[in-house]
Amino acid sequence: MEHKDKQHAFQLGVSIFIVLAFLTAPEFLLAVNFPSVPLLVLIALAKAALIGYYYMHIYRLKQAEEGEDRASYAYKTGTARLGLWLFLLSDSFVFGGLLVTRFSLLAMNRPELNQALGLAVTSVLLISSFFMNRAETAMQHGDRKNFLSGTLVTIVLGVAFLLGVVGVEWRTAPFGPGDGAQGAVFYMMTGMHAFHVLTGVLFLLVIFRNGLRNRYTVEKHWAVEAAAVYWHFVDVVWVFFYPALYLIGSVL
Amino acid sequence: MKKILSIGLVRGLVFQMIGTLIGALLVTAVRAAMGLSAFSARTFGFTEPAWVFGGFVGVLAFVYGTRVLDDWIAWARGEDTPEHREDEPGWRKYFSPSLDHKVIGIQYTVTSLLLLSVGGLFALIFRTELAASGLQFLSLKMYNTLMSLHGIIMIVSILLGIAGVMNYLVPLMIGAPDMAFPRLNAFSFWVAPPAAVLLLSSLALGGFDTGWTGYPPLSARAPLGMQMFFLGVWVAGWSSILGALNLIATVLRMRAKGMTAFRMPIFVWAAVATSLIALTATQLIGLSFQLVMFQRLFGMGFFDPAKGGNPILFQHLFWFYSHPAVYVFVLPGLGLISELLPVFVRKPLFGYRWVAMSSLGIALVGFLVWAHHMFTSGMNEYLRVPFMYSTLLVAVPTGVKFFSWVATLWEGKIELPTPMLFTLGAIVAFLMGGLSGPPNAIVATDLHLHDTYFIVGHFHDTMFGGYIFPFFAAIYYWFPKATGRRLNEKLGKWHFWLMTPSFLVLTMGMMRIGLLGMRRRIADYDPALGFDLTHTVLTVAAFLIAISVLIFFYNIYITLRKGEVVTGNVWNSRSPEWQVPSPMPAHNYDRPIEVVGEPYDYSLPDAPYVRFAE
Repeated sequence: MEHKDKQHAFQLGVSIFIVLAFLTAPEFLLAVNFPSVPLLVLIALAKAALIGYYYMHIYRLKQAEEGEDRASYAYKTGTARLGLWLFLLSDSFVFGGLLVTRFSLLAMNRPELNQALGLAVTSVLLISSFFMNRAETAMQHGDRKNFLSGTLVTIVLGVAFLLGVVGVEWRTAPFGPGDGAQGAVFYMMTGMHAFHVLTGVLFLLVIFRNGLRNRYTVEKHWAVEAAAVYWHFVDVVWVFFYPALYLIGSVL
Repeated sequence: MKKILSIGLVRGLVFQMIGTLIGALLVTAVRAAMGLSAFSARTFGFTEPAWVFGGFVGVLAFVYGTRVLDDWIAWARGEDTPEHREDEPGWRKYFSPSLDHKVIGIQYTVTSLLLLSVGGLFALIFRTELAASGLQFLSLKMYNTLMSLHGIIMIVSILLGIAGVMNYLVPLMIGAPDMAFPRLNAFSFWVAPPAAVLLLSSLALGGFDTGWTGYPPLSARAPLGMQMFFLGVWVAGWSSILGALNLIATVLRMRAKGMTAFRMPIFVWAAVATSLIALTATQLIGLSFQLVMFQRLFGMGFFDPAKGGNPILFQHLFWFYSHPAVYVFVLPGLGLISELLPVFVRKPLFGYRWVAMSSLGIALVGFLVWAHHMFTSGMNEYLRVPFMYSTLLVAVPTGVKFFSWVATLWEGKIELPTPMLFTLGAIVAFLMGGLSGPPNAIVATDLHLHDTYFIVGHFHDTMFGGYIFPFFAAIYYWFPKATGRRLNEKLGKWHFWLMTPSFLVLTMGMMRIGLLGMRRRIADYDPALGFDLTHTVLTVAAFLIAISVLIFFYNIYITLRKGEVVTGNVWNSRSPEWQVPSPMPAHNYDRPIEVVGEPYDYSLPDAPYVRFAE
């Protein structure tokens, strides 16, 4: 739900983050002690739904600008929003295809990975989504200072995620891309996701730079919203990739 | 020189060459620094990774070089750009990025016709080789490469062709000033030419011998041309995906006042249905090809059984797109048939809502049938029967369309100018394709027919009926709208009456020898099979089709020079684009249109479909 009051909007972001964090912790503990695939899938779906509704504002697609002037910024933003969601729908078929590949080749096995690192990068990405939401909410209320700081923290966390996955996990994993189906699946999935995180970081750098030069206003900041929605989408992908790679099944 | 470089296409091609070189040199340098082999004598010096990365950089460079990205780059820098950019008058605008959907539509269509000729030429070459048993003038490798390239070039040509027709028509039909995202529209077109260059470059880089399907394990060890094929299709896929995205957004957001869902021209429904498939499923052919590319480049064992991979998985990913893809090819064509019939029968389209829903129905069922291509592949046997039934289900919405066409023709005042001839030809050809479909869908008969010329005949029937005939009908029909001149009727009739019988002979001959056991995709056959005569006849038929298409090209040339000038409503149509003079002005309708009636009430002359705002 959209909140008129800035303080309430910030608080909503915090509460959603707390719920997401509380869902992630049992996810991890569950997989270690009591591996249940349906439960893991349910948790992932719940997290994706929360992010999709409260952070990505999927309901805005339904906001009718009918009757409004077609040349207005609001109507054009509505069209652009639809275009972005269509793109995400299309992109999710890539990730869906990768999940199909993973379960087809590895079934109920998973690669041998650093569990602590997996939980760390997952948390980093989840926290980044919180700051992204905070930055976008700030922009909606004309609070440029919080917008800039939130965006900057998101960028830093995004880079930290990339370093954790590509810099550490890729180097320390006991297998390379050419080592069996697990190598192929692991490097392809994380590589494709890391590529999307990288493009997201570049997008954020663009809006950060333009934000510094005061290009966005309360009425006109579609680029900020687009960057935020894209960033949350990349997070949602990881919500599914994390259990698929780290939690489901037994170690090969 | 400066004048030549001001043309976007030329600049793009120059940039593509430079970009390819830079990318390839970069990889070569990195490989040399890492101590890997940096040169390969067989593929013009560069190694396979160097060529692949170079090819990718080349595509980016092409797009950058055409300046189609300039507005986006300006936006990223925080600068505003003008909403519209006026095109320069004359023919030059067609060779540079334009934001006008009509210009882009024509760019797509001309590129499509160009690739159609290239793909057709390849077919003629290997068709001539097949005219008699024994190898005459092609090597086995060359035959395989030409056969594979014929497939993929034609597919890309069809994708560009439908994109051209949809781009040109949909905004006009729904009364929009342009597509929803004009810059994305230009981008979607301008990634297609470098993709075509990549596909053709595989000829020089060793070719490939897998057919257009690129199945591993063969594609994992085919020559370097295979990689260029994968990369080319991957890039062309983006053109298709982004074009589809744009079209759906346009139809959902840009319709004129009063144009409710069930008052849209029926072609718009077909365009939306086809775009829904292209938007989503295309990603999976891109992914499957990307996985094979990476298997070759990095030794990742997705489809390598020795590494725990599974080649059947490729076929699932591949056909999840490539079966719905044939509906991407034919749905716009079937929409065009439904669009043109009422005009030349002077009757309402029978069962408008059913026809609209049948397009969506075909698109949705299309997602559930992919494994019928794999009955003999060794996939789990229990999958066969459900996929057989889901495939047979496709006949239901398709049957709805046929029923509507026949009922529309029933007791109509049928006129027979060239576009109507091609529309009727499309119905006949697609009927042939439709009737030869179920034998392939039924497991028991497919086990016999799989990989024979029967499949080839069936497929060419559906492609001619679903795309080639309607595409030509559309060109004859909307040529006056685009240019203000009407294509020569006499030459058009020659085109039709030469192409149609030759086409029927070609595909029925293919099906006949297929039933008798002629394998597809082979360069030679045993003379004892007795197929020599049939193959000779098929080759003659193929050449007759080629001649008919040459007549068509000559017709375009002669019409553009001195064709009959027509500016009015040539076909007496109710569709909004014909209510304004031809050729269409740059920003479509000067006065916004408003829908006040039903689109196909040809029997009610006093009930207009659209009205112009005062």
